Amino acid sequence: MPPAPANELGYKPLDGGWGWMVVVGAHISIGFAYSTPKVLSIFFKEIQENLEASSSEIAWISSIMLAVMYAGGPVSSLLVNHFGSRPIVMLGGLLCGVSMVTASFGNSIVYLYLCIGVIGGCGLSLNLNASLTIISKYFLIKRPLANGLAMAGSPVFLCILAPVNQYLLDMFGWRGSLLILGGLMLNCCVAGALMRPVAQPGRRSTSGPLNEVEKPPNNTKPKIDCMNRAKTFMDFTFFKDRGFVIYLIGNVLFIFGAYAPIVFLSAYAIDQGVEEYSAAYLLSIMGFVDMFVRPATGLIASSKWIRPRIQYFFSFAMVFNGTCHLLCPLVNSYAFLVTYAAFFGLSFGMVFALIFECLMDLMGNQRFPSAVGLVTIIECFPMLLGPPAAGLLVDFFDDYRYLFFMCGSVIVTGGLFLFVMNIYNYYMLDKEKAAKVRELNQITMENQDQVNISS
Amino acid sequence: MTPGERRAAVMSYSVAIVGALLLQSVSSQNEPSISTSEHTTLSKESGTYTLQCNLTSSSPPQESYWMKNGEEIPETRSPNRQTEYKLNKPRGDDAGWYMCVYTFEMSPPANATIDIRSAPDIIGHKRSENKNEGQVAVLYCKSVGYPHPAWTWHKFDDGVHREIDNTSGRFFINSRDNYTELNIMDLDIVSDPGEYHCNATNMFGSRDQMILLRVRSNLAPLWPLLGVLAEIIILVVIIVVYEKRKKPEDLQDDDDSPGPVKTNSTNNHKDKNLRQRNTN
Repeated sequence: MPPAPANELGYKPLDGGWGWMVVVGAHISIGFAYSTPKVLSIFFKEIQENLEASSSEIAWISSIMLAVMYAGGPVSSLLVNHFGSRPIVMLGGLLCGVSMVTASFGNSIVYLYLCIGVIGGCGLSLNLNASLTIISKYFLIKRPLANGLAMAGSPVFLCILAPVNQYLLDMFGWRGSLLILGGLMLNCCVAGALMRPVAQPGRRSTSGPLNEVEKPPNNTKPKIDCMNRAKTFMDFTFFKDRGFVIYLIGNVLFIFGAYAPIVFLSAYAIDQGVEEYSAAYLLSIMGFVDMFVRPATGLIASSKWIRPRIQYFFSFAMVFNGTCHLLCPLVNSYAFLVTYAAFFGLSFGMVFALIFECLMDLMGNQRFPSAVGLVTIIECFPMLLGPPAAGLLVDFFDDYRYLFFMCGSVIVTGGLFLFVMNIYNYYMLDKEKAAKVRELNQITMENQDQVNISS
Repeated sequence: MTPGERRAAVMSYSVAIVGALLLQSVSSQNEPSISTSEHTTLSKESGTYTLQCNLTSSSPPQESYWMKNGEEIPETRSPNRQTEYKLNKPRGDDAGWYMCVYTFEMSPPANATIDIRSAPDIIGHKRSENKNEGQVAVLYCKSVGYPHPAWTWHKFDDGVHREIDNTSGRFFINSRDNYTELNIMDLDIVSDPGEYHCNATNMFGSRDQMILLRVRSNLAPLWPLLGVLAEIIILVVIIVVYEKRKKPEDLQDDDDSPGPVKTNSTNNHKDKNLRQRNTN
């Protein structure tokens, strides 16, 4: 049975109580982080007419926002390690709000790139990292459930924000809508207020009397702090960790194939002869199923049968997702497409409910913030390259089937890789642990001998 | 007049008539004559309607084809004297002026026109238009029917159809054939919003269509924004106050581990590397 990494917290996490309010806060924060780049596309047509830009210029807004959100991972890890989650989420919410409000006064597309893309992306990246970190501080036993509930924020907010944005667009135009959306994003500050910091002994906290005790040492040693901070900024020692590298490779493969089917599902359905509204409906089905699957997966993963084997569960979910894509082009009927969308939502939700839980499981609570920053910045590349690569395939072969085959096979490869390599990893960890136990026993026996001799 | 002279007069008279008749037939042989089906007006119950053209002069044509509204209809070319064009369940957009054209090797082409008329029907328009004040609104209507209608625009204010009041010089109407456009510059939030009607009229009928124009105020989003900001401030204050009130109570229990550690559970999860202290 795979050993859980040593709990370095040094205290018993709450696993309930105020922790559930923290989950609500994380739900809101993660929800805005993942859904905002997608729902902004509702405004694009009107912005395009108003600012006289081309479709590809407009699409860059979302891409820049996503890229900055993922690339800002290490910076936000650093800030979270230093300041804790609460101020960072509040700062993230403030940045997002400011970005949308300033964007509403924009008159050129480059201005929108800067406001929505760069500033908004920075705010979202701060939100994402800090929310995940605080969950790992508040939960251990029920952590998969808490992660599942928090990650469910993404489909929930997508389902809420999409019609809300459409309504705002009709009522107020795109400028007014961005203004109000900026106000709505300030709710991340409320979410941050909920994230009461866990005051740990011996660690810097941003609240309570402990802070005053620690201030003098901080003032006298700024330079050493800086160097330590620079080291933790891009902590390449992570790459020596076998489990981390395995996780990273599997994840990169998954992310490369994960988003392209979402982007092209409507187009594929219309190509198969489905009506436009019915094709858009497929994505809603997927999102709706996703909403319920994430907490359910968290609940299952928290159970005592699955929790120790959570990495295998994760690789199963990935293989399931890939298989769905491989089976999609087989039958050409709307009923089958609806079934595919439902299973796609199911498997997608399963993977995303577990994606950060597995990293927490591998890395432990101390190293998780830095690890997640590194993972997100590396995931930036497959995420940006995946859909255009799939689009190239579609253009080259003039057939959507190859897109699904490519994505499905890449994801299945990632899942199988994770499965096999995790077996190897746990075998090696068991071996190392046994070796350590033997060493410890030897040392204690030697000590006892010495005590016997001396007494 | 002697019987001989009378006979000569009758003979020359009949020769003159025959000659005139012969001349007539010879000259009509040079001008092609086409007999066509009737001009018709479409009605709702029209089934298949066939347009027919029959070339009744003696020289055979090289080719014949059909044109609609001045443009050739593809795949209608045939070498026959009699040519027809079928309209299956003709609808509004089938109305127009149709022409059958005959081309000859040695003579210029000949044609005949058949009008398919109908009352106008408005097919393309936006039901409502939302614009911000100061922007330009473009309201348009498209119609089918022949002859092409005369377009007029009205505004429906307080239950009365009014002509559009262009004293401010901001209204421009462009109409051609089956399309009309009403451009309103620099929208004014007080006078411009409301129901606009485009009217298409020809000798067979008249049709009206409504377009609703809404003008958004530039300051409209401020109220919801203030509402959202108020909600956020209230929530943050509630959370912070709740926390400050809980804190003095929490600090009493705090040793070196926060949160309610007091528990009766001896549930040391054996498969986790957890060292727990069960107090109480």
